[in-house]
Amino acid sequence: MARGADGGDGARVWQHVFLLPEYLKDASKKTKSGLVFVKLANPCSGEGAIYLFNMCLPQLFEIKVFKEKNRSWFINESVQSGGLLHFATPMDPLFLLLHYLIKADKEGKFQPLDQVVMDDMFPDCILLLKLPELEKLLRHVTEEKEIDKKKYYKYSKEKTLKWLEKKVNQTMAALKTNKVNVSARVQSTAFFSGGQVSSDKEEDYVRYAHGLISDYIPKQLSDDLSKYLKLPEPPASVRNPPSKKAKLSDEPVQAKEDYTKFNSKDFKTVKKNSKMTAAQKALAKVDKSGMKSIDSFFGAKHVKKK
Amino acid sequence: MENSYEESIDKRRVHLRPDTLRDPAPVSLHLLPCEVPVNRPTPVGCFFTPAIRLGPDGLEASFRGRSLRGEEVVVPPGFVGYVMTEEKAEMLVGKQSDHEREQQELVEPPEALERDFDRFMGATASFSSFTVWGLESIPGPDAKLRGALSWPSLAAAIHAQVPED
Amino acid sequence: MDLSELERDNTGRCRLSSPVPPVCLKEPCVLGVDEAGRGPVLGPMVYAICYCPLSRLEDLEALKVADSKTLSESERDRLFAKMEEDKDFVGWALDVLSPNLISTSMLGRVKYNLNALSHDTATGLVQFALDQGVNVAQVFVDTVGLPETYQERLQQRFPGIEVTVKAKADALYPVVSAASICAKVARDRAVKNWKFVEKLPDLDTDYGSGYPNDPKTKAWLRKHVDPVFGFPQFVRFSWRTAQSILESEAEDVMWEDSETGNQEGPGKIKSYFSESPQSCPRLPHRYFQERGLKSATVL
Repeated sequence: MARGADGGDGARVWQHVFLLPEYLKDASKKTKSGLVFVKLANPCSGEGAIYLFNMCLPQLFEIKVFKEKNRSWFINESVQSGGLLHFATPMDPLFLLLHYLIKADKEGKFQPLDQVVMDDMFPDCILLLKLPELEKLLRHVTEEKEIDKKKYYKYSKEKTLKWLEKKVNQTMAALKTNKVNVSARVQSTAFFSGGQVSSDKEEDYVRYAHGLISDYIPKQLSDDLSKYLKLPEPPASVRNPPSKKAKLSDEPVQAKEDYTKFNSKDFKTVKKNSKMTAAQKALAKVDKSGMKSIDSFFGAKHVKKK
Repeated sequence: MENSYEESIDKRRVHLRPDTLRDPAPVSLHLLPCEVPVNRPTPVGCFFTPAIRLGPDGLEASFRGRSLRGEEVVVPPGFVGYVMTEEKAEMLVGKQSDHEREQQELVEPPEALERDFDRFMGATASFSSFTVWGLESIPGPDAKLRGALSWPSLAAAIHAQVPED
Repeated sequence: MDLSELERDNTGRCRLSSPVPPVCLKEPCVLGVDEAGRGPVLGPMVYAICYCPLSRLEDLEALKVADSKTLSESERDRLFAKMEEDKDFVGWALDVLSPNLISTSMLGRVKYNLNALSHDTATGLVQFALDQGVNVAQVFVDTVGLPETYQERLQQRFPGIEVTVKAKADALYPVVSAASICAKVARDRAVKNWKFVEKLPDLDTDYGSGYPNDPKTKAWLRKHVDPVFGFPQFVRFSWRTAQSILESEAEDVMWEDSETGNQEGPGKIKSYFSESPQSCPRLPHRYFQERGLKSATVL
């Protein structure tokens, strides 16, 4: 949040254009403070990003910024360069907590939350602990123990994947109602109003929703979720441009976890054993002829590992 | 050294004065299809707004001898647009004493959220719609901005609590 | 000449015309085309046509019309008044092209140069006369650009009409002289009564001839330059004189088609990383990229 550093006379102040939920107005009725922008670790990149807390409710908001090249604002009788438009939208704090829970899991033991959510780089992460119903939220992603009325938590990948799959499902539903073009084929024209939707395949929706959710979780977890959802490998053209770390994880999937079975070549066994979820059912309905088989997907990975 | 400086900036909170959100004046807002590399007062009401015309396919204007086509866009439902600025040091002195006085009657936040090295912002104006301009053609439904404005409704679905088992 | 329509909105183009003399519907007519205000950096450019039956050409000559440039403003006004008196056999029409229209055409994504704009306007006026039922037999045009190619184009466009394009046609053919008087009178009046669309508090209307080499015009431009908006729309932004004043006195405005080195492509992707070089190993999801959205990292 370095922009405040430049002083300058009052006439040349930087003006931020924001969209805020209407109900934040009501925060002013209770206190004279309580709305605060802080920098926290972005759970996808680990880098700093801006979040907003409304400490009156309390509630967490994510800040996205619309930015296009060659834009500026006329704001009443002034000009503001950049033409940025900020969006503050309510955010599920579990994504941010998950970042710390996964980190803490390296120690492999149950810990109280205030020992987990600590960060030298982003000390304001402790504000997350003030959010309501944390215990209820944490049940989605942790195993918990209670000793002397104090709760201790341990990250559970199994529960987390289940939770993320629900996230994917509700995101898919919203993609459909919002008529977002998720088609892998048409990329250049981003927005079609209606019409297009019916031709989008279920698999495209699952993949798209998985991609969106992946913007809120670490890469490894995104890969695990992809396997959990049994997403076939996407055609090369659809993937986001590969990054430095794009090669699949160096580490084998944890042996102690249940998900080793997804490494098995026998796809059918998996299908029989597990109750299919909505996303999986959606995929099962898809005609997979002409697609790379799950087997070859995982097979290829094994080759890479060794 | 530079790193520790950067870090200290990251650790400054930016407080948004809640009372400034209550009834700020409406603002006239135009998003232009060009970069003007300055932030300062400029006579928009003299040069720009009086020359806006309603043509057959939307708003028409020009800037620097180039033709602009524009349309009104509304903010997403449930949202309010605000223009916010940072309070500068001089302004802060007066404002904070006010602020402390008033706060005695209000509910104190649970702990000292504000530290003296923090930054403070306030809304100076609000809007429910603005004009977006394209170079020679109406931005239209395919504009990135239009897509961006649909973000809050998708965000709501991504971040909604999942149903319990 | 009623310029009130132009005064209502001078941001685009505006067409004015006399009623068509009934005789011009029947008898074969000669039609002249000329312009006024092509060179100035200020104000509109006006294209005019004037026509009369071939049989009455002598009566038009008797008015002693001459190239408008050789006449004083009052002589032009007097001659135009006489033509109005002779409305039983003389007709005219004109197009006022606002400086804003000229600027936005010439500075467009697809450049529309002044010659093309001129040719199209002249063609449009001849067609307008035809559409009104004027029995046009001959057309004389003062040239813009090479007379040969211009003549060929007009001749192709109007195969049934005998077209003559010539340099100095306004001095050679009375009907072109008459058109030049119409154009010049309209241009002078438009400039004199120009309603600035801008709300400028201390506007100085002493802008000289409007020609780029007029010191008064240059001084006026320098006085009225705004660092953000440049000039009022009265100025043709596309003129070299205007551009060079903007380059030195106004902010550098960048458009998506501005000529600079790294515009799209790699630079665009790089901008996602610009805040800190070792940043996010993954680009935002396609949903966000397609909407110009990313996580805010500064405030």
